[in-house]
Amino acid sequence: MEHLTKRFGSEVTAVRDLSFSAAPGKVTGFLGPNGAGKTTTLRCLLGLVAQSEGSATIDGVTYREIENPITVVGASLEASGFHPARTARNHLRMIASAAKIGDSRVSEVLETVGLSAAGDRKVGGYSLGMRQRLALGVALLGDPKVLILDEPANGLDPEGISWLRSFLRHQASQGVSVLVSSHVLSEVQQTVDDVIIIRSGSLVYQGSLHALTEGGPAEVVVRGPNIAQLTIPADWTKRSDQNGELVITGGSIEAVGRAAFEQSLELHELSSKAADLEALFLDLTTEEGAA
Amino acid sequence: MNALIRSEFRKVFSTKLLWILSLSALGFMLLQIFLSVLVTPPGFEDLNQLMDPAYIKTIIASAGAASIFLLILGIVAMSGEYRNQTITSTFLTTPVRWRVMAAKMITFAILALGLALVLWFIAAITTMLLLGTQESAPFEWSAAFEILGGTLIGLVLYAILGVAIGSLITSQVAAIVIALVFSFVVEPLITIFFLSIGKWLPGSALNAILQTGGGGPESSASDLLSVPVGIGVLVGYTVVLAVAAALITNKRDIT
Repeated sequence: MEHLTKRFGSEVTAVRDLSFSAAPGKVTGFLGPNGAGKTTTLRCLLGLVAQSEGSATIDGVTYREIENPITVVGASLEASGFHPARTARNHLRMIASAAKIGDSRVSEVLETVGLSAAGDRKVGGYSLGMRQRLALGVALLGDPKVLILDEPANGLDPEGISWLRSFLRHQASQGVSVLVSSHVLSEVQQTVDDVIIIRSGSLVYQGSLHALTEGGPAEVVVRGPNIAQLTIPADWTKRSDQNGELVITGGSIEAVGRAAFEQSLELHELSSKAADLEALFLDLTTEEGAA
Repeated sequence: MNALIRSEFRKVFSTKLLWILSLSALGFMLLQIFLSVLVTPPGFEDLNQLMDPAYIKTIIASAGAASIFLLILGIVAMSGEYRNQTITSTFLTTPVRWRVMAAKMITFAILALGLALVLWFIAAITTMLLLGTQESAPFEWSAAFEILGGTLIGLVLYAILGVAIGSLITSQVAAIVIALVFSFVVEPLITIFFLSIGKWLPGSALNAILQTGGGGPESSASDLLSVPVGIGVLVGYTVVLAVAAALITNKRDIT
C-alpha cells in the first residue's frame, strides 16, 4: 500500500496518503474505528474501488492483474452479499465454475466452515454468523495463500469468535498470510502478530502487537490497608482505583516495593500491569481535540 | 469464456427469476392471442379481420411482443447482482469486468433464443386451434415461419439490451421503471406526434422486425422501417448500450 488516497466526490476523503505493508506468512490486524477507511482501503487493494492516487499491490502486482485471482487471494468483504433465494452450495458453485474450480472443493469448503448441514438451505434464512461463515467459505474456495478478511467477527457470537480465532491460527500455521480488519481490538488481539492502526484514513501505528504494548507506560498496582499514605517521588504519578488499589506509573515494580518497605506499609498486593491495550487503542484512534 | 458462461447458467438456474418471467411472457402472449381472435375491437364490427391473412400473421407475432419480458429479465438479472451485492464476489472472481458482462449477454441470448422458439411454437399452435373455432382465412404455417426469424432476433436483442440497461442503471427499481416508462409512455408519445423520429426508436424497430403494426389495428406496416433496416437499428441500440455499459462498469467503484 503506497500513498493510497481515495476521494469520493470532492467532499469526502476516505483514505489519505496511506502507506503500509503486511508481512507474508503472518496474521496482520488492520484496526481502526468505524469510518476510518478500512473497507475502502481493502476494496482498493482488491481492485473493486479505483484509488484517486497511490497504489495498492499484492506481491508487487495489482489484484486486477492476477490471473484467476481467487486462487491466489481469498477475500471476504463486509458488503459482499448473497441472493437470498440461492443456497450456500449454489452460491459457491457459481463462483467455483467461473474460476474453473471443481465442485468437490465446494463440499470441502462447506465442511471447513461448518456449513455442511446447512449448505442446501437458502441463504435468506441464515443467521448473520452463518453468512460470515459462508463469506469465509467463498474466500477459501480457491485455496489461496493470502486471505483478506473485512470484519469477519462482526455478528459472531462468543463461540463463533473463538471458532474464528482458531480458524485464523490454523490458516497462519498453513503458511497463509492473513490481513484481517476489525474495529474491536479484543476480537483479534489474541490472534494477530502485527497490527496496522488507522484513523480518519491515515496511519497511526504499524508494527508488532508486542511493541505496541511496550510503548505504553507500565503501571504498578499496590494494595494494602494503609496504602493511601504511600508517598512517592515527584516524577511518579498515582491514582486510586475503585477497589482501594493504588495504580502507580513512572516507577518500576522493584522501586515501588522498596518505597512501601521503607515507609513500613503493609502490602496485600504488588503487581505490574501491562499497559491497557484497549485504552491505548482508544487513545490512538480517538480524534485529537475532538473530545 | 466457457467457464464464465457456465457460471452464469448456474446463477440463472439457482433462482426462480427465469421461470417467473418466462411464465409471465407466456401468459401475456396467450392473452393477446385470445383477445385478438375472439374479441372484435369497437368500430371494426362490420369487418371480419380474421378473413385477412396479414391480420393472422399479426396474431402469431404476439410471440415477439413478449420481448418486453426478456428486457426485464436481463435488467433484473444484471441489476440484481448490484442489489444483492453478489457483484462483489463476481468481480473478485473475474476482475476483467467486460468478460462477465459478455458472458451474461451470451447466456441470456441463448436463453432468449430457446424461449423464443417455444413461445413462437405455442403462439402458432394456439392461433391455429383458435382460428378453427371461428370463421376466418385458413391458418398457413408459411405465415408463421415468416414471423419466426423476427421473433428470434427481437427476443435475443431485447434480452441483451436488458443486461446492458441493468448495468447502466444499477438501481433495480429505477432500471425497470425507466425501461417500462420509455417503452409504454415516451416512445408511443414520440411515435404519435413525430412519426418520422418514432419509427427509428427500439419499439418501432422491433415491430418492423416482427412485420406487425404492434398488433393494434390502428397502425399500418407502411409506418415502419423495412425488416433489414429495423434489424440494423435494433442491433445498433444494443451495441451502443452494451459498449457504454462495459466502459462505465469498468470504471465503477464497487462499494
